[in-house]
Amino acid sequence: MAAHGTFDREKLVEHFEFSAKAKKTIFTIAGIGLIFALIGIILLATDSGHDEHANLIESGNTLASISEEGTSGIEAGGHGDEHHAEYHWTQRLKANFWVNSIFFLGIAVIGVFFVAIQYVATAGWSAGIKRVPEAFGWAVPVFAGFLGFTFIWGNHELFHWTHDYLYVENTPGYDAIIAGKAPYLNLPFFSGRMIVFLAVWTLFFYLIRKNSLAEDKATSFDEVYKKYRNMVKLSAGFLVFFAVSSSMAAWDWVLSIDTHWFSTMFGWYVFASWWVSGLAAITLAIILIKEAGYLKFINENHLHDMGKYVFAFSIFWTYIWFSQFLLIYYANIPEETIYFIERLGTHYAPAVFVILILNFAFPFLFLMTRESKRKHITLKIAAIAVLIGHYIDFWLMITPGTLKEHGSFGFLEAGLPFVFVGIFAYIVCYNLAKNKDSLVAKNHPLLEEAYNHHI
Amino acid sequence: MQIVSQVREPLITGKRTLHDITDDISSRVEEKPSKAWILAFLLSLALLGAGGVFLGDMLWNGIGRWGLNRTVQWAWDITNFVWWVGIGHAGTLISAVLLLFRQKWRTAINRAAEAMTIFAVICAAVWPVIHMGRPWLVYWPLPLPNTFGSLWVNFNSPLLWDVFAISTYFSVSLVFWYIGLIPDFATIRDRAVGKWGRLIYGALSFGWIGGARSWVHYESVALILAGLSTPLVLSVHTIVSFDFATSVIPGWHTTIFPPYFVAGAIFSGFAMVLTLMLITRKVYRLQHYITLEHIELMNIIIIVTGSIVGIAYITEFFMAWYSGVEYEQFAFVNRMTGDYWWAYWAMMTCNVISPQLFWIKKIRTSLVATFVLSIIVNIGMWFERFVIIVTSLHHDYLPSSWAYFTPTWWDIMCYVFTFGLFFTLFFLFAKFFPVINMAEVKTAWKNSNQDVYKHNKTIEDPNNVI
Amino acid sequence: MAATEAQKMELNKHFVVGVFDDEDTLADAITFVKEKGIKIHEVFTPYPIHGLEHKLGYKHSWLPTAAFLFGATGTTLALIMQIGMLGVDWPMIIGGKPFIAVPDFIPVTFEMTVLLAAFGMVGSFLVSQDMKPHKVPRIFDRRATDDKFIMAIDLAENTLGEEQLKEVLKEAGTEEGTEEHPAIFRKDFTDEENNPSFIGYVRKLFSEGVLANDTSRPVKS
Repeated sequence: MAAHGTFDREKLVEHFEFSAKAKKTIFTIAGIGLIFALIGIILLATDSGHDEHANLIESGNTLASISEEGTSGIEAGGHGDEHHAEYHWTQRLKANFWVNSIFFLGIAVIGVFFVAIQYVATAGWSAGIKRVPEAFGWAVPVFAGFLGFTFIWGNHELFHWTHDYLYVENTPGYDAIIAGKAPYLNLPFFSGRMIVFLAVWTLFFYLIRKNSLAEDKATSFDEVYKKYRNMVKLSAGFLVFFAVSSSMAAWDWVLSIDTHWFSTMFGWYVFASWWVSGLAAITLAIILIKEAGYLKFINENHLHDMGKYVFAFSIFWTYIWFSQFLLIYYANIPEETIYFIERLGTHYAPAVFVILILNFAFPFLFLMTRESKRKHITLKIAAIAVLIGHYIDFWLMITPGTLKEHGSFGFLEAGLPFVFVGIFAYIVCYNLAKNKDSLVAKNHPLLEEAYNHHI
Repeated sequence: MQIVSQVREPLITGKRTLHDITDDISSRVEEKPSKAWILAFLLSLALLGAGGVFLGDMLWNGIGRWGLNRTVQWAWDITNFVWWVGIGHAGTLISAVLLLFRQKWRTAINRAAEAMTIFAVICAAVWPVIHMGRPWLVYWPLPLPNTFGSLWVNFNSPLLWDVFAISTYFSVSLVFWYIGLIPDFATIRDRAVGKWGRLIYGALSFGWIGGARSWVHYESVALILAGLSTPLVLSVHTIVSFDFATSVIPGWHTTIFPPYFVAGAIFSGFAMVLTLMLITRKVYRLQHYITLEHIELMNIIIIVTGSIVGIAYITEFFMAWYSGVEYEQFAFVNRMTGDYWWAYWAMMTCNVISPQLFWIKKIRTSLVATFVLSIIVNIGMWFERFVIIVTSLHHDYLPSSWAYFTPTWWDIMCYVFTFGLFFTLFFLFAKFFPVINMAEVKTAWKNSNQDVYKHNKTIEDPNNVI
Repeated sequence: MAATEAQKMELNKHFVVGVFDDEDTLADAITFVKEKGIKIHEVFTPYPIHGLEHKLGYKHSWLPTAAFLFGATGTTLALIMQIGMLGVDWPMIIGGKPFIAVPDFIPVTFEMTVLLAAFGMVGSFLVSQDMKPHKVPRIFDRRATDDKFIMAIDLAENTLGEEQLKEVLKEAGTEEGTEEHPAIFRKDFTDEENNPSFIGYVRKLFSEGVLANDTSRPVKS
């Protein structure tokens, strides 16, 4: 049953303390991640990856023989070989930074998106937990910085289209298709878009956060109502901007890695993956904060709704994945199928099945019953599985295009995300604790509905 | 007891009591048909008859009566099919998706919207059946044993998926709708003063008496049906989009089609719900149940889905350029500037630009503006399908076979036939079935008659005539 | 007047019925009545009331499980059908795909899953609740589908007598009631009413018509 008793807004105020224990846990997780990542880096730097590469070729790895232009038919393989020669282990580090930056930036921005959508939809049940996803927004500028840094550091290795020789006509390196994309894929415009997207997301987060805190200070209902309406308007503004920018960001940051390839669904596919990961992260964060002794009136009914979200949007992601896959599989046009051949016909193939199991089969069957959506332990298992699944999903979107046959899932891939998890958790906890703001938006006009919510 | 925040508008206005709700809605079923109803019903029958004459003639002489040619083999028939199926999405969306999202305002409109869904799907199903040319062989797509033909049906074909999808969708929607009707039929049965009413509504109500134990199961059934219908409704328009997108025709083969078709379907479905509900509301004086708040919320959904459709148009266009595939690029430039430029710009204006007017509060709370825009949206959505289908076909890979499609009277009148069918069914429904789900509206009643809304001015209804 | 052995033996049923005019009063009344150790036969409401099932001690519905099992059956049947027909019985190359092109089979599999889950569950619901067109319901008060909340207590299931039960119901907060529609009354169902025949019901309806006092709506003169 829901928490009952009289509803007193002042009594719900909670101040989050960033305890030493929490810090220790976060540092332990990040530390272990770092150790794994360093082991991975050392192994790569000492060139033990070479054997792996040789094995792959021997075992009939097709990626080693598929260079991206090999299938386009427009040009003979020329500079593809150049790449093989150029491969350096730092490329793998860059690709991993890129995967993690995008994945965690996505989770951070989904926090803001979640809050915005709750306001626009006048959702009552989530009023009590909204400060948690809201705090995710603090990570947006940080991961935006990572993203920018990685781009400056590694754009040549990550993005084939950044090479000048592709655009010089009548040379062996000329690529007519990529040259045709030049008005969109060029460094100034690309970086401009990146800066605008990241800046505007951060700005919206800042405004939403500011308005949300101002609501706590409001003294009369009229004042609260004004803030509330502001929040709805800000949220609507953010949603409109995000609807366009999330798709474009996906084209830029992920789709353009496989420069020849294209899929109209891709923007929504990346969004779907971000959205589920964000929901799983929010669920996990709420449970962990609750277990630390906060969010006292949040109970299994609120968690049930979060569980439903993770359940439903896992199915939604699968729907988007399947629709994209089926249409490409069915029409069987070489320019399009290459994307899946690179993933299903190579050593990356197991990962495709892993993501389908972790992102669809597991949450679908595991979260189907009512009870599993209401218990901390089951929700934690599901949320972690979904987060791992979608991390691998992003890894699978980015790695085959950047690292070709050199990409694999090793110590670095297993360790680096935990470093990012640590950074993410630290940012969220630090900012929740910093300003002594209430963990509960006590003046939220829909808070009483959330307080009495039960299903 | 439920707590409802001060920021929410009341869902039932006019200080109605529980008994008033029963009265307001059941009386429409109990009283004799009004003159306006009889007139409207006869008009629909006339449309049905007039269209039926042409349809019959077309069936007798073959589909050569239509304006199809060798290049444009699919035109109005499939356009109308997709258009009707699209309209047939809103009802299930309102009752299933909004139920899962706990949007209480759906209670006032779900019944009529679901009815509309079912009738729209019937109208949609007419098209593939008559397009077969020999509609008496309609059972051929069923997986029947070899002796019926020579082979099994082809499960690799999206057209066969359509058969399964549409029939599943139709039957599940029908069941969902009927389950919702049972408690209301019981109400009418219990109010009946004539033996026929007692008998017929008694049979329709399946002996429902509203015991708490039954309600537990009933609620469970409603929730699970909603959970099943949500992916189902997505799958139906997804599979309809597969009819096009699995092909290799430029303009058809694009991966965004499934979710984009679904968004478009919701968009046109909501527009049709608004058109019908605004009329029903006026005629049956339902303004206490379908308040301006309801209309505003539906308009907001129209903005959202309209914008999604707009983004999808732009995405398609962008990707056609970005892909570097010249056939795709040609298909899209041809849409915009080719022979059918007028259809393209009609679609853009009606679907992308006009719903943006709803950002203005005055417009989205105006009954007249809503009514006009709801019709414009449906015109736009018809053009969308027409543009997708005909412009992708009429200039194919062989310039020597390029052609232009012009509809014949048979095209037009067959379309009119489905309108006649739709409105005939809808008017029958509006007279003999309760148009608002009384039991569900009553669940929202308790918190709607209290004065918790003092900070929020309830939107005044200029047509408040009761 | 305690329920005697004789009363238990016969097939007639005797109830004390209380009429409430508010969902919250009814919810409180259930707690109140149950605290007195009285067994409630059933409550009847015009719309589903959230939380009532907890108060009455009803379990969650088992229908979701039924839906899952029917759905799983649908998935299996659909796959067997498609693989059997196109993969085994008459394999054909279509669009250059394998005989058993699993991605192509998913749409139909999904539709069959939903179809069987929905129909199986609704069928189970109708059968388990004994709902059918020719059902003749045993109605305690016709206003239960309009605006009243009805509580029925079976005399045979309780040790308290009729008068005592009426007293408890009154304390529980039944509505005022009128002469025509009393708030607390005794309702007897004869053996025939408990096990009605549809034919008999229709015959009676057409010979006697709808009695004026048997509706919740004033009969227009």
